Amino acid sequence: MRNNAFLHFLTLLLFKQKSKHIGAVLISVIIIFLLSAVLFLSSSLQYSLLSALQKQGDFVVTRIQAGKPANTPVAWVDQILGINGVTHVAPRIYGRYFFAPRENAFLVVGIDFFDEQNNQALQRLLKDVDLKRFFSKDSMLVGEGVRKFLEAHYFKNDFTFKTPKGTFKKVNIYQTLPKQANLIDNDMIIMPIELAREIFGLGEGEVTDITFNVPNDAEWDNIITKLHLLFYDVRVIEKREVKKAYENLYNYKGGLFLILYLVTIVTFMLILYQRYSMVYSTERKEIGILRAVGWSIKDILKLKFYENLVIVIISFIIGVVLAYLYVFVLNAPLLSHIFLGGSNLANHVTFVPVVKFGILGSIFLFYAVPFLAAVLIPAWKVAVTPPKEAML
Amino acid sequence: MNEILLNNEVIVYLLSETVLYLLLFVAFLVTVGLVKKWNFDAFTTEQFTLENRSYLVMTIIFFGIVLKIILLPYFVYTIDALSDLVPGAMCGAGVIKANAYGNPLLALKIVILFLSGLWLSINSIDLKAKRYPYLKLKSWFFLFIFVLLSAEFLLDILYFTHIETTNPVSCCSVIFGQTGGANSLPFGLDIPKLLMLFYLLFALIVLSLFSNLSLVSVASSILFVVVGYYAVVYFFGTYIYELPTHKCPFCMLQDHYHYVGYAVWGLLLLGTFFAIDYAVMNVFFHTVSQTLKRIAIVLLSMFVFLCSGYVAVYYFKNGVWL
Repeated sequence: MRNNAFLHFLTLLLFKQKSKHIGAVLISVIIIFLLSAVLFLSSSLQYSLLSALQKQGDFVVTRIQAGKPANTPVAWVDQILGINGVTHVAPRIYGRYFFAPRENAFLVVGIDFFDEQNNQALQRLLKDVDLKRFFSKDSMLVGEGVRKFLEAHYFKNDFTFKTPKGTFKKVNIYQTLPKQANLIDNDMIIMPIELAREIFGLGEGEVTDITFNVPNDAEWDNIITKLHLLFYDVRVIEKREVKKAYENLYNYKGGLFLILYLVTIVTFMLILYQRYSMVYSTERKEIGILRAVGWSIKDILKLKFYENLVIVIISFIIGVVLAYLYVFVLNAPLLSHIFLGGSNLANHVTFVPVVKFGILGSIFLFYAVPFLAAVLIPAWKVAVTPPKEAML
Repeated sequence: MNEILLNNEVIVYLLSETVLYLLLFVAFLVTVGLVKKWNFDAFTTEQFTLENRSYLVMTIIFFGIVLKIILLPYFVYTIDALSDLVPGAMCGAGVIKANAYGNPLLALKIVILFLSGLWLSINSIDLKAKRYPYLKLKSWFFLFIFVLLSAEFLLDILYFTHIETTNPVSCCSVIFGQTGGANSLPFGLDIPKLLMLFYLLFALIVLSLFSNLSLVSVASSILFVVVGYYAVVYFFGTYIYELPTHKCPFCMLQDHYHYVGYAVWGLLLLGTFFAIDYAVMNVFFHTVSQTLKRIAIVLLSMFVFLCSGYVAVYYFKNGVWL
């Protein structure tokens, strides 16, 4: 019962002295909002990238000559197929086609449309392609960003590539790639391997790289060894490395932001310290009365602690909910450009809502610990004022 | 550039530890003054100020300890999150072994939590009495804890700045697995003996708590932490992972196993802490708290049931033992 009365008093006090706390709540909400918006964004992007990566082939092999990537002979495909445990070996032509007038580049991927694909996303996509119509003339599939870019430059139904031989190659736009995968294939063009060979000027029997899967991941290290025994001039890129690189990138972006944000948090602590020293000095009389009616120092410290805890929790919830709406409902206007980057084609991504408990915990600690630490000393100062002195 | 220090969790963790350490340092300075000049019978302004200051120390330590309790699981979570960045690590086991500071740091953290929990108990009986009879004792006790806290803070920084992201570390199956048939259990135990010891010690703790044999329950609790650790890693863990060769205290903290590791280790540590706390209070301060006893027994029973439950459910589903 006593405890209930205490909580009742606490709520009354909070409602009565709204104006005292509103400033602190506002600043807190802004700080938490910004922080959680950035963290939500980066974790959502990371999630999408990793799940896209999950569907890709396990290994990419290219020939290397004196440390410089060279064209890979198609004959390697048969040799790789000879290794036990390898599936879905597919030659690929992969490269950036530079569109000089605007200084933009498309990512051109040439694949064999009649083969089974080791990229699951691609496999699903190709199921819907009517191959008869697709091959009736030179055609390609383009990403959303490419389509928009071409449309703006009056290439409505086709695009003319310039080949290294100095001739022109007109290629029909067959279809746009699905929007969900925008993060990766926004600037991508998928076309038959022969066509890509012509555009990049590769010789007969040459590709840029070969991809394949190894379903048993315990065998991955063995396969790498075998590849190096088979070819002396090979470079093997495995999915694990790419995954680690992505993780490092987002770790780096988020980390740099947090480091800079430390400045804000420290400033916030100083402001809080100042503000609560001031606010509490106006409360001396009140505290004096409470002490006079029999509250101990411990009770008053408890009251102040709960008061601040309520403020911390309220601002945390408001800030996080606002950030959630901003990122996942409004799709993070402004902020998304920082993470997506706009040097090449403009990209529009819908963010997949990913909220992990760990992120919420990190945000809470990052904000609540400095907050409570900053008000602790001012709260103690006012709690120990002797009742007689305070009421004079 | 060090990728580890740019990790979100590491930044948050180090910030929280730094803020806490600064606050505790203030408390340390005040406590030194308290120990020097405290005289309850004096009617001076100085004594009056000291009494007020003791409340500051108390509040800071209380705040610090509550946060340390939250930060221990967060530290483990951070270690687990780092396993994505450190090559070769599949879970926290590899990361904590990444340099020589990891294991002492984790052990020190647990010791500090146990000691500061005891401090809280002493503090509460000190406040209940009218003359602050244990103030000197608890101040000296805090000064001792502060030395450990400083060591912990130093280890924190040394640990996180010395994790290499270029050298691969070992995976948990290398660290805890039985390589070459060597027995990794202490005292030459094998699994059946370990389990017997596990259940017997549990029974001993419960019985000694009921019969108020305090020293016995302290000793058995400390033994139970050690035996419980080995039992979970080498026996119960294999049922959590449903794989006889998977022996690791960290993998069970991952979402793949529904974060059950936090419950397992949390129950074990809290349960034994309350048992020790109850016994120490009983022996040294002659205060008997029935709630503490009940909490300790409930938590420890939950721990034992949780572990045994995994074994029972596995047997129920598959009809064989691992």
